[in-house]
Amino acid sequence: MYLVADINVEICAAKNCKLCTQYCPEANTILYSDELGKDKGFKYGSAYVAVDRCKGCAQCVWVCDNMAKNHAIKMVMIDQLPQAALTENITYGEKSTTAVLTSPVIG
Amino acid sequence: MSLDYVKFSNGFEKFMPKEYRDMVEHGPFGKKVTVSQMGSFKEVLEEHPMCAGCAMTLFIRLAMIAFPNPEDTITVGTAGCGRLAISQAAIPFVYGNYGDQNGVASGLSRGLRLRFGDKPKDVVVMAGDGGTADIGFQQVLHSWFRKERFTTIMLDNEVYGNTGGQESGMTNRGAVLKMAPLGKKFEKMNMVELAKVAGCAYVATVVPNNPRRVESVIKKAVLVAREIGPSYIQAYTSCNIEYAIPTDKVLEDAKAVENDRYQFQEYITEEAKQYLTERYGYKEFLAKPAAPAAAISGKV
Repeated sequence: MYLVADINVEICAAKNCKLCTQYCPEANTILYSDELGKDKGFKYGSAYVAVDRCKGCAQCVWVCDNMAKNHAIKMVMIDQLPQAALTENITYGEKSTTAVLTSPVIG
Repeated sequence: MSLDYVKFSNGFEKFMPKEYRDMVEHGPFGKKVTVSQMGSFKEVLEEHPMCAGCAMTLFIRLAMIAFPNPEDTITVGTAGCGRLAISQAAIPFVYGNYGDQNGVASGLSRGLRLRFGDKPKDVVVMAGDGGTADIGFQQVLHSWFRKERFTTIMLDNEVYGNTGGQESGMTNRGAVLKMAPLGKKFEKMNMVELAKVAGCAYVATVVPNNPRRVESVIKKAVLVAREIGPSYIQAYTSCNIEYAIPTDKVLEDAKAVENDRYQFQEYITEEAKQYLTERYGYKEFLAKPAAPAAAISGKV
């Protein structure tokens, strides 16, 4: 098993910083959805991780902890994630993306 | 070399991978995208084999977003880590044999001008410190002396990271590396001053921990190279493997190095300032309005 970044929607959707999307070294990996968190009544959308592209470097954790000071991102073992975004389930829109969350572990 | 080169041939759309369809339908081609929109559009850079947490990858990702017209851009690279990612983007990439990249880019840039006339076609060289300051040094300098109109970006990780950690001209004096166990005996080359002396119209140094600045600097460098003259950007992109930087401390290291030896510098000729202001509406180079006389003598 390996580590991937996991973003706490409740903390992320309370802010609107989007810094992690700008500092991830991998392209199309940390994406932003205007819808995520809205269903729980939060003001903003949330960032989320396409876990099939995450290399587990944890730069986003440093950015979220030290630059944004939100502490919303943690590294977790991929099999400990009940649901996550995968590239094949992500849809790009005009100004945002949406993702259908599924189990990231096959079988 | 236009928007059409990425589009599907009729009837082939359903056979293309999802990533490709996303790139055609929601990529940055033909639109203006900025780093503040990152995470909401499909980027041209795809998956690549570079190390986890590599700052060079982050810089390349930002650079690809900063290109003013990605659909009219060709990148040129050479041996080194950078080309592993640069070649994995939906932007044509030309591989210059080691050290040849600025020679290749000179011919390419001239050829594109002959073929397309005034229509801007940007050539951007992205090569490592070894490719730019050591092995390709002669061709880099001569392309600047000849005033070849394209952008040269040095991805300076201060080591030959791809081949096991030999010292390069850009390594700091005293640095001990796996293949330089006694420490480097000479100073880091001052390529920024060399670029100014050689006649570059725009020269800047950046670190990738300021995405908006990276974007702004690359845009200016590419635009200046369209008509005025060569432009040079030197970017600190640490090698977390050869310098043993934990991946989650890469940006902390970038900040420390920025404060130490990579302070932001920008050099731009008067001609380039005038061109950016008049042609592209840049306001930052306009003369500041003189302070009112009352404000100056306010304390009297």
